[in-house]
Amino acid sequence: MTTEEITDHAAERPARMHWAQLAPEVYKAMARLDTAAKQGLDPSLVELVRLRASALNHCAFCLDMHTKDALAAGESVQRIVQLNAWEESQHFYTEKELAAIELTEAVTVLTDGFVPDEVYEKAAKHFEEAELAQLIATIAVINAWNRFGVTTRMVPGHYQPGDLG
Amino acid sequence: MTARTQLLDRAVAQAMSAVSAAAKRGLGDPALAELVAIRASQLNHCAFCLDMHLEIARKHGVREQQLDLLAAWEEAGDDLFDERERTALALTEAVTVLTDGFVPDDVYERAAKHFGERELAHLIGLIVAINNWNRVMVSRRVPPGGYTP
Repeated sequence: MTTEEITDHAAERPARMHWAQLAPEVYKAMARLDTAAKQGLDPSLVELVRLRASALNHCAFCLDMHTKDALAAGESVQRIVQLNAWEESQHFYTEKELAAIELTEAVTVLTDGFVPDEVYEKAAKHFEEAELAQLIATIAVINAWNRFGVTTRMVPGHYQPGDLG
Repeated sequence: MTARTQLLDRAVAQAMSAVSAAAKRGLGDPALAELVAIRASQLNHCAFCLDMHLEIARKHGVREQQLDLLAAWEEAGDDLFDERERTALALTEAVTVLTDGFVPDDVYERAAKHFGERELAHLIGLIVAINNWNRVMVSRRVPPGGYTP
């Protein structure tokens, strides 16, 4: 059953604006940045990072998109769902993935404080320096998409894997 | 203090700069752009970014008193920060502290009254771009003072 077949749900709220059309140069640079940041990183790790940041930032569109992308790439439902309680379900993830997820949280909740040394150092044990720089960039970039998505209230539900390249 | 790492992929840095530059161009208000960049950098505790954007703000002729009182702009009175600046700063704060909740309708709508739709899209782009830099700089602990205009 898709959401379109259900009639007793609340009405879909429209987006506040279509920012990519209003600021096409910004959008194009963001797309370039997205591609550049993930170079050299494991694609399934990138999706886990995007999903965790999008959950923390409450980006409905981003959760819709990255859940569908992760599933299309063969990720398991269990690992996607358990990501929200990863501290209690560590046996679904590799140590490297866990270090990346922990770093994702620290970099995402930046207004609460700095990125703690132990979190950074754990990540530095699993990622060599250039790879770690890419991971940090990837975390920053999904935070950027999350901010666009939430601020302009991008509508979840319509994305299909492959829609945005 | 030394940086945890100074590494940042060249293509990543160039694209980040392109996002910032396109947003700044589209907003077309360099002084306001600096107020936004400084306020977000305060909230995200980015020492490198504060050092850099305070210097640029002074170069753009932003008043010293505005820079001194920016962290308390709501209490600073509307003769120091006009209504347009205040709506931009309120939006900056809402978009920056995203993990605390959504961007409230009243904050968005207040900003939408003072900025045209295209301008507002670029203002949002600018807030996103500085948040992006804040994350990359704080995570790598890049020390302040390294910026040269």
